[in-house]
Amino acid sequence: MSVSFLLRRLFYGLILMVGVVILNFMLIRLAPGDPAMVIAGEMGGATDEILAQIRTDYGLDKPLMTQLWIYISGVAQGDLGQSFFFNQPVATLIAQRVLPTILLVITAQVLSIVIGVFLGVIAARKPNGILSGFVTVVATIGYAVPVFWTGIMLIVLFASIIPIFPVDGMQSMRLRGASFWVQALDVAHHLVLPALTLALIYLAQYARLSRASMMDVLGSDYIRTARAKGAGERAILFKHALRNAALPILTVAGMQFGNLISGALLVETVFNWPGMGRLAFDSILRRDYPTIMGVLFFASAMVVVANIITDLSYRWADPRLKGQ
Amino acid sequence: MKPLLEIEDLKVTFDTRHGAVTALDSVSLSVNAGETLGVVGESGCGKSITALSVMGLVPSPPGRVAGGAIRLLGEDLTKATDARMRALRGAEMAMIFQEPMTSLNPVFTIGAQIAEAIMLHQDIGADGAMKAAVELLDRVGIPSAKARARDYPHQLSGGMRQRVMIAMAVSCQPKLLIADEPTTALDVTVQAQIFDLLNEIQRDFGAAIMLITHDMGAIAEMADRVAVMYAGRVIETGTADNVLDNPRHPYTRGLIDCIPNIAKTEGELREIPGVVPPLHLLGAGCAFAARCDSADARCLREKPALRDHGAHPAACHAVEEGRI
Repeated sequence: MSVSFLLRRLFYGLILMVGVVILNFMLIRLAPGDPAMVIAGEMGGATDEILAQIRTDYGLDKPLMTQLWIYISGVAQGDLGQSFFFNQPVATLIAQRVLPTILLVITAQVLSIVIGVFLGVIAARKPNGILSGFVTVVATIGYAVPVFWTGIMLIVLFASIIPIFPVDGMQSMRLRGASFWVQALDVAHHLVLPALTLALIYLAQYARLSRASMMDVLGSDYIRTARAKGAGERAILFKHALRNAALPILTVAGMQFGNLISGALLVETVFNWPGMGRLAFDSILRRDYPTIMGVLFFASAMVVVANIITDLSYRWADPRLKGQ
Repeated sequence: MKPLLEIEDLKVTFDTRHGAVTALDSVSLSVNAGETLGVVGESGCGKSITALSVMGLVPSPPGRVAGGAIRLLGEDLTKATDARMRALRGAEMAMIFQEPMTSLNPVFTIGAQIAEAIMLHQDIGADGAMKAAVELLDRVGIPSAKARARDYPHQLSGGMRQRVMIAMAVSCQPKLLIADEPTTALDVTVQAQIFDLLNEIQRDFGAAIMLITHDMGAIAEMADRVAVMYAGRVIETGTADNVLDNPRHPYTRGLIDCIPNIAKTEGELREIPGVVPPLHLLGAGCAFAARCDSADARCLREKPALRDHGAHPAACHAVEEGRI
């Protein structure tokens, strides 16, 4: 039963991805600006013949629908086209950068959920206590402050005042060729600040959300039942209540994943993280359509996968959904 | 013989926006080992707060035990530590609640919830506790208990859930079982079954039952002794036969008159005019005076004490003066 549920979800995800590909393709074509001019501009001295040549080379002279068909059949075969700017297959460009982005996004997601929910649970125990007020204040600040500002402030703090974390890139040059574990540790060391920056905004949201959700659940009859059978406070908070409070948290976690990816693009730019963010940024500035579409495609795929995972975790958290 | 449970001059207050309100005012009750005490009264009369006070489950803040003593086997529970109360709850005293639909945790199987109650108080492994849980489910009349133990609460009817609650409550063979309106939320046919089950359980396990209800019929069927409560005070107490056949206090008489009589086919259903006054508006006099036909100037001025005026104790000036 669960397998058929998974297959159905994957099938929906596939249909969604086809829609995403078509929409991406259309949106970019609708934007003003002539890519042939941009490509020519990179090379310098654009005559009409050169522009015509570029259009033929890149298939830009064909009708829109034909271009779309060529693109979709390409994507289906794993060919995301050729980058105008980098002059390399887009799939290769993305493959080189997708792992650092996934590493950053997932680390930030786990950090924000674990720390945020923990703070929220503790705060819910005493809704009028000092910690609860602290969580509310931190949550408001975390939510209000733009991510690039947090990033720059962290850079200022850790680059000049207490220089204990690297603030640039993902690896130290001098450790290239060292053993796997040394390199892994080095990457983790580099990961701290970007992941923290990205996690801070969402951490605050999870803290607030789980505080509210837990306060709601802690007033339930079944919590009173748990007390009546002699359960301790920790079991009541983290076993009886949290599992019930998890549903709204999971919902938000699934929805926030897309925002997290767009946040990651900014954080990558600030910390010079070698992920897809930098690639997206460069390709947008240069009107490098195939690369933009490739990045969007991958970001959408990550969101679709995250949503499937959210659906599965719902069914873990709430047995009432299993029969449906 | 010393009573199992002895409540003496218990005073419980709640902090509200009207200031501290007295929810229980010098309540004294006792439950002997193995007997059933019925506590009867309208909504808001303090019967549930009395039960929650014994269990140490009065929400605090805003609630507070402001005076008096609750002695279980001679030990004053109002002075017990949190850890001691946790050890007693579920083991020596257990409670069944009014709302079977919401009193079980929706994300755990019923077997696991009963097994948890057992493991909290007994040195027994998870397998042993689950085996015991299945036996208890069988004992409270759940068919094919072994399979049903893996069900979640939403897969059971209200009556079945109340049976599960009873199984959980008696899992550690408590000496005192508090049942707070255990049948109010159930169908009439199921109500009778639950009362039968409680009677059987009492016979087999030897537990004393404190049955909280507003249903005089339930009292007649179940209780050995009765305490009638009104506006946070016990206003009449005695053996069930005495109180039902020869009620002294005008309020008790009203309650008994309210029982619909199937033999009487004519006339309207009887009711007690008016409502229980809000606790923060209680004056110096008898709280029932405004609804009482026999009230005079003294009733409005002076609170009657619970005194023995012949048959059994009642708190009424009119009874004391022989006016009724």
